[in-house]
Amino acid sequence: METAFFELRGISKYFAKVVANKDVSFSIRRGEVLALLGENGAGKSTVMKILYGLYRADEGQIFKDGKEVKIQSPKDAMKLGISMIQQHFSLVPAHTVTENIILGNVGGVIDQKLYQEEIKKLAGVYGFNVNPNDYVRDLEVGVQQKVEILKALYQKASLLIMDEPTAVLTPQEAQNLMEFIRNFAAQGNAVIFITHKLKEVMSVADRIIVMRAGKVCGDVKRSETNEVELSKLMIGKDLEQVRRDELKAKPAQKPRLIIEKVTLEEQTGVPALKNISLAVGQGEILGIAGVSGNGQQELCEIICGAQFPSSGRILLDGEDITNKDIRARIEAGIGYVPADRSRDGMVMEMSIAENMLLKSSFDKKWQNRGFIDQRKLNAYTQEQIKEYSIKTPSTEAMVRGLSGGNQQKVILAREVDNGEKVIIFDQPTRGLDLGAVNHIHKVILKERAKGKSIVLVSTELSEIFALSDKIAVLYKGEIQGIFEPAELTTEKIGLLMAGFKIGEVREDAS
Amino acid sequence: MVNLLSRTIMMGTPLLFGALAEVIAERAGTMVTAIEGIFLIGAWAGFVGSFLSGSLTIGFLTAILSGILVAALYGWICIYLKQHQVVTGTAINILAVGLCAFLYRVIFGVPITPLTVNPLPTIPIPLLSKIPIIGEILFEQNILTYIIYLLAPLAYFLLYKTSLGLTVRSAGENPEAVDVAGINVYLVRFLTVLLAGAMGGVAGAFYSIGFLGMFATNIIGGRGWIAFAICFLGNWNPKGAVAGTLAFGFAEAIAIYMQSIGANSFFPNELFIAIPYIMTIVLTISRKSFNVPAKLGIPYVKENY
Amino acid sequence: MQAKIRDLIITNLLAIVLGIVSSGIMLLFLGENPVSAFTILITSVVRDVYTFADIFVKATPLMFTALSFAFTYKANLYNIGAQGQFYIGAIIAVASSLYLQDILPGWLALLITLILTLLGSGLWGGFIGFVKARYNSNEFLISMMSTYVALAIMNYLLRTFLMETKAEYPQTDALANSVWLPRIIPGTRLHVGFILALLSCIGVWVLLYKTPLGYRIRAVGYNARAAKMSGIDAKKLYILAFCISGALAGAAGFTEVNGVQHMLVQGFNPDIGAAGIGIAILANGNPIGIIFASILFGALKVGGTIMGQMSAIPSSIIELMQGFVMVFVILAYFVRSWLENNREKRKLQKAVV
Repeated sequence: METAFFELRGISKYFAKVVANKDVSFSIRRGEVLALLGENGAGKSTVMKILYGLYRADEGQIFKDGKEVKIQSPKDAMKLGISMIQQHFSLVPAHTVTENIILGNVGGVIDQKLYQEEIKKLAGVYGFNVNPNDYVRDLEVGVQQKVEILKALYQKASLLIMDEPTAVLTPQEAQNLMEFIRNFAAQGNAVIFITHKLKEVMSVADRIIVMRAGKVCGDVKRSETNEVELSKLMIGKDLEQVRRDELKAKPAQKPRLIIEKVTLEEQTGVPALKNISLAVGQGEILGIAGVSGNGQQELCEIICGAQFPSSGRILLDGEDITNKDIRARIEAGIGYVPADRSRDGMVMEMSIAENMLLKSSFDKKWQNRGFIDQRKLNAYTQEQIKEYSIKTPSTEAMVRGLSGGNQQKVILAREVDNGEKVIIFDQPTRGLDLGAVNHIHKVILKERAKGKSIVLVSTELSEIFALSDKIAVLYKGEIQGIFEPAELTTEKIGLLMAGFKIGEVREDAS
Repeated sequence: MVNLLSRTIMMGTPLLFGALAEVIAERAGTMVTAIEGIFLIGAWAGFVGSFLSGSLTIGFLTAILSGILVAALYGWICIYLKQHQVVTGTAINILAVGLCAFLYRVIFGVPITPLTVNPLPTIPIPLLSKIPIIGEILFEQNILTYIIYLLAPLAYFLLYKTSLGLTVRSAGENPEAVDVAGINVYLVRFLTVLLAGAMGGVAGAFYSIGFLGMFATNIIGGRGWIAFAICFLGNWNPKGAVAGTLAFGFAEAIAIYMQSIGANSFFPNELFIAIPYIMTIVLTISRKSFNVPAKLGIPYVKENY
Repeated sequence: MQAKIRDLIITNLLAIVLGIVSSGIMLLFLGENPVSAFTILITSVVRDVYTFADIFVKATPLMFTALSFAFTYKANLYNIGAQGQFYIGAIIAVASSLYLQDILPGWLALLITLILTLLGSGLWGGFIGFVKARYNSNEFLISMMSTYVALAIMNYLLRTFLMETKAEYPQTDALANSVWLPRIIPGTRLHVGFILALLSCIGVWVLLYKTPLGYRIRAVGYNARAAKMSGIDAKKLYILAFCISGALAGAAGFTEVNGVQHMLVQGFNPDIGAAGIGIAILANGNPIGIIFASILFGALKVGGTIMGQMSAIPSSIIELMQGFVMVFVILAYFVRSWLENNREKRKLQKAVV
């Protein structure tokens, strides 16, 4: 058997609050595409950051071509030909493409012209359409990823590690990336890509390492496995999937939330939302599909009142709420589960009980002669902890100490009660393990059954298809169309998400 | 008038030292809130060094060294131990006052007349200083003034035209990018803070031995903060720092000028003293700052668990 | 949780001890014996009732300036201009007292003076909050600069409008007995201002932790964006927080002028703003902790002054001590989080193996 290009042996890593890796061993050969598959929090990123020298392993060894190597920092890793593209890109938005690529790779006085030429040439070789003079902050996410790849190529990497590279791409862009990965590996290089998407694994990987709870629990060739087996390995048990057809009740047709021709202009004058019209009925789930960054956040924010539209109207039960601020809309019964919960949804340094109070601190029901009615609040929190089975020692526990899934449940509990009429879910399951995802899906469907109007924003198409009564596709702040789930295929929605109009889609997709 | 402008340039010297020090450290992501303390220690050490040795050069070297020491303490706490920058700076500023007052007493006891040294002489530059007006304003200054006005363009060049500067700027914009590129973010930030300490030490010494020739614990009187403010108002750019410094140097020169011509019979003396501070307030309010280093003041924490 | 509290107490006590020991080492440079110096320090503050009571006299303004910093700190704002707000408070207190003492009964003059002081210094502080809210100006810089402006105003007034009738020194006339704050213990300088300070500490604690308003201030401080998304108007709270903060610092001016000095002298109490920040840090921003930390700093001040009189040790040793204590307290913050992390990690390693 040929010696492995790189090999990890017995890697363990302990963080303050979690075991990230325990005794992780696997290898990769030249010319191979390796998928590192696992749920969020399975320790995939950590072990790759160890290989790239960003983290130091507490135990274990790394070998290159059979010889042990010490990787103390990314510099060491680069010398060995390893390059890693982080899930959240590590680019400097305020700098140009060139400056980002040469960072740390050149010395002395910077000869802008020379480096720009080099990068242009390199981009040409791989067919990337990237302008070296552009500022990264002006680039779309897909292009930013190409900049990251160029950075790795500029360093002449022979082992490329990519952390969840398709999370921000349209299905078509993802396909192009997969093609690049195969080509790159075919030239005698190797690629490890981290993912939790089974489909990608089956389409591109030669071999699959499955991780669960920080350990390797499977090392299989693609040709000898299938998606069902992989998902079992990944989750560790069979999981009941929430099915849309469990709910036969046809949604009531009375529209509750109406968005009429809403346009939102950013300070730069570029519209973030263009002439959007949507309606959500009682007991209806409207799914908003799209690649992230196409106006989803803005759409949520004009509904919850964090931003005011430049033109257009928003109606709730026939009442014009366009000019009402956040507080008034909370009181009107609009709940919002934001995508970035730690930034927009909770105060990490406060207790669960205090976080329950966040949106209703003005409400008299939590007050007792001007003071906070701590007893009532605690009792309520205790109830919610039970109902949502939030794992915590007490109502006084700081939210920071909870796991991501439990944090999300805290917000969910609060917003479900807040949103008496409308609840907006923005990426409600992002970054959570499948158990938590299931729970959250059940909650969403339960609220629908209560007759609430639900706006569900998600970049996970499976989630959109599983839950939505209607699906709207958002691209560059515009609605590409509103569909019944049955009208759409993955391919068709992919093209819509990439900006093709409905007429073009029919031609292309059929 | 010529005298006034010449004085503007001169009074701007320590401010520019301080402002450039802040620009460099803040571009890499660390606010040096201990700047007031560093100025004070610099003033003290400069005076002690030159008084005891009889040499201004040695005075400035001691000032640089002690500036670096204070900055090292600050940088260690803020960068490596990741403690709060405003809070740490305040603590060090208080410690600096205590140290200077106490150690001055330890070394000199209670002198009956204030101790003095001869301040920096002006060095007219041959030929250039003979140019009418301009020569007198620009080329009849002391050595430090020449140095700092040469250092400013050099700092600009280093920050914006070299890979070293790119690394420094990236450390303040997105330290993770620097880390991923295999460069030690902590070290980059720490070294910029040390450099700021050295420059701040010189700035402080300029007040004691640069032109007054004596030391008192209130000698800095918020000038460190003004340098800090100039860095903000100059948008974290050496060019802006020079412009801001000239404005403040001018304000200070006018204050001294007005007092010297006896204008305080019409206007209260205190008004002139307060002008630089009022100017900072007005400018801070009226001016939108842009180009702020994105991760300014935020410690870089590597293992996010 | 218990381990955390134990860490907090041990590390902070250790920080204080280390701070005192370090300044003791500095004493060696003077050729003084630190042990005997500290013996003087400790025995002197308890030598008689007058001196002992003076600890609390000194602690009074410190509690106010520490609360001033801590209050905005909870909203994640930096008011480092307590010194200036204190000066403004002192100016208003002395001016109002001098004006009212002849026309109103003492208690009424005091009450009006207190209200005017709080209003004036509150507005002075509120201005910083206003420009922060309205123009998003850097409150750190502005509050810092406002101190120097306040100082200039005070110096100007002391040699013009407020100058003593003799017109000899830059200071005001002495206040009439009627507008002195009543003494608590006869024969000492301890006045009711101390009680006012204690009540303020408790009041601020209740406000911050037991009322919806305080809750909102803390929420904005921890996560302004989440607070905004929850319908909380951060800008209004910024202004309010700075008003309250300024008024608290101004109250120190009132208690110092009407309770201790009974006049206003140029260059008086130049370091209570900075010491207040130190105390707030030592107390981790907790208003109840501020009571104890202020008393400690008060004791250092009283003992240090006596030490300066009784031996060749300069009184700047107090500032030195305060500085060292603060630096060590900041290090203690780090040690605590390090201990906490290690504890978790050990637990984990045990659980896995």
